[in-house]
Amino acid sequence: MLLKRGRHDDKGKDQVAQSRAITAAATPRWRGPLAMAWRWLTAIVGGYAFAVATAMLAARLLPVSDALTRVEATGWPMILSFLVYASMGLWALHDIRLGRVSAVIWGGAIVMAGLLWSLGVRA
Amino acid sequence: MSGVAAPEQRALRQTMAWAHGWLGLIAGWILFTMFLTGTSAYFRPEITQWMQPEIHAARTSPAQAAASAVRYLTRTGADDLQWYIYLPEERTVATRVFRIPAKPDPKARGGELQLDPVSGAPLSARATRGGEHFYRFHFQLQLPHPWGRWLAGLCAMAMLGAIISGVITHKRIFADFFTLRWNKGQRSWLDAHNVSAVLGLPYHAMITYTGLITLVTMYMPWPAMMNYAKPAQFLQAAYDTPADVPASGTRQPLVAIAPLVRDAERRLGGPATRVIIQNPGDAAARVSIALAKHGAISSRTPAIVYEGATGRFVSQSGDPASAIETAGVMLGLHLASFAGTGLRWAYFVMGLTGAAMVGTGLLLWTAKRRKPGAAPFFGLRLAERLNIAVIAAFPSGMAAYLLANRLIPADLGGRAEAEVSAMFWTWGLLALVQLGLPARRAWTSLFAIAAISWTAIPVVNALTTSRWLIPSLLDGDHLFLAFDLACLAIGIGFAAAAWLSARPAPRAPNRIRRFSEPAHA
Repeated sequence: MLLKRGRHDDKGKDQVAQSRAITAAATPRWRGPLAMAWRWLTAIVGGYAFAVATAMLAARLLPVSDALTRVEATGWPMILSFLVYASMGLWALHDIRLGRVSAVIWGGAIVMAGLLWSLGVRA
Repeated sequence: MSGVAAPEQRALRQTMAWAHGWLGLIAGWILFTMFLTGTSAYFRPEITQWMQPEIHAARTSPAQAAASAVRYLTRTGADDLQWYIYLPEERTVATRVFRIPAKPDPKARGGELQLDPVSGAPLSARATRGGEHFYRFHFQLQLPHPWGRWLAGLCAMAMLGAIISGVITHKRIFADFFTLRWNKGQRSWLDAHNVSAVLGLPYHAMITYTGLITLVTMYMPWPAMMNYAKPAQFLQAAYDTPADVPASGTRQPLVAIAPLVRDAERRLGGPATRVIIQNPGDAAARVSIALAKHGAISSRTPAIVYEGATGRFVSQSGDPASAIETAGVMLGLHLASFAGTGLRWAYFVMGLTGAAMVGTGLLLWTAKRRKPGAAPFFGLRLAERLNIAVIAAFPSGMAAYLLANRLIPADLGGRAEAEVSAMFWTWGLLALVQLGLPARRAWTSLFAIAAISWTAIPVVNALTTSRWLIPSLLDGDHLFLAFDLACLAIGIGFAAAAWLSARPAPRAPNRIRRFSEPAHA
């Protein structure tokens, strides 16, 4: 789960992505400063948004039977959310495909936000 | 499978090394100051005691201290909404009280007061923020609320990211444990960074994550929105706090507090540490008595509530949810409130390895980019100057705070704020002055200033108080003795740093490359 890298279809493509990843590591200015700024924004702000949405969704979906389990269902996502944040943030800095990174992090946060909105506060 | 995974892992290692370098650089300067002030906060009450040498309060039982404090508060604030009474423990000598008056009283603002635990009379001592200042700076960074806390949280997240990416980058974590090559330029900084990081890895990971948890209700309050109509309901359910009882308007005096404290201690099994009284002097008064569990890591404080007018038992906080207990343990691990003297010093040393790890990491960033014979680019010069301004100048600022405590007259108005100003003016001026020196000279000079200012603390203490090294030794005053010796040790450490930084540049391998290069200066 932690820092999983996307799978590639075949070995040749893999090696291309591979060498690009290495180039990106060596020259941070890969594809210009705007892309780099967007990458860091996605890691820091997007990663937080993704972690917030994940934690809220988990809090809403975990089973609750009484007052105590309601505290558990709220407290554990709060405590563990920073792991999600750190993982998504580092993945945003790792994966060469910025489009995919943006889609997963921002898109995921937006989809989860929509889901939360439709679910509403637990009765 | 493994054949495919291997090159991927290599790429991961490379991107993580890159992420590690930048995360560490951007957050490093703030993290270094957070590590130093946070490390000092393990001795927060001790620093406060050292900074108020006038106070020699007698020891007494929590029940007596509560009774004397209530006597004082009844005399001065009978109409208050609420009283907070923090009873003296092993590491504190005074009772601390805090009042919430019915009508905001401009005179009582800023309101924590120290009382003699026996007589209940206010203690007169020099105004100071004591150890509280370093503690607050550690997570508020002297910025307006809430920005300091958000910035500190962001730096803690960068630290967490840097730890994870640092571990991924490392392939030989065990071998690095035993590798320290001295005086080899960049290689030595890398080794020093690795040794301090690997040695303290469990501590660094723990202190970073638990640090985030200390402010989790600020950084991540959102899950409560999905399960509770109001966020306050979550906190009430989580900590099992009884609902507030409104004042009845009928006056009725409080029952004697000492028997209630003793009863609570019997039920909870330990010395009471905190008493909260709501609506004192009203028929609906509530007394809540809590204790910090000794020998338990968790910093959660179980409490018992009594009716203030009759002394009748109302409720006792039950076992909390496992998530809340976990957060309590994490908080306790961070604050080290459970730790005895030995473990506290171990925490202190680990905190210093944290500062060393961040500091060597910052130096490594610049050492890596410095090319022999070439003029440093702007970013490199900026990073180098910021390194000097933080690593070499900030400790002198901390020393200035402690020195100001002894040098500013004890009865001067606004002296507590002046002490804090002394720290930031010293730090700021040193950070500016070093710009006028070549980098190597700047390192040496600032380390020398730090050595002098830390060594000056026990000297100035001896000149301005009667509680200096020799009397402390004779009286068995461990706190003042340890404080003076610790300052001396820190001073000697900086003297060593000054001496090391003044030595000629490392020989290999840069020198060889410089010789083979055509001279184009």
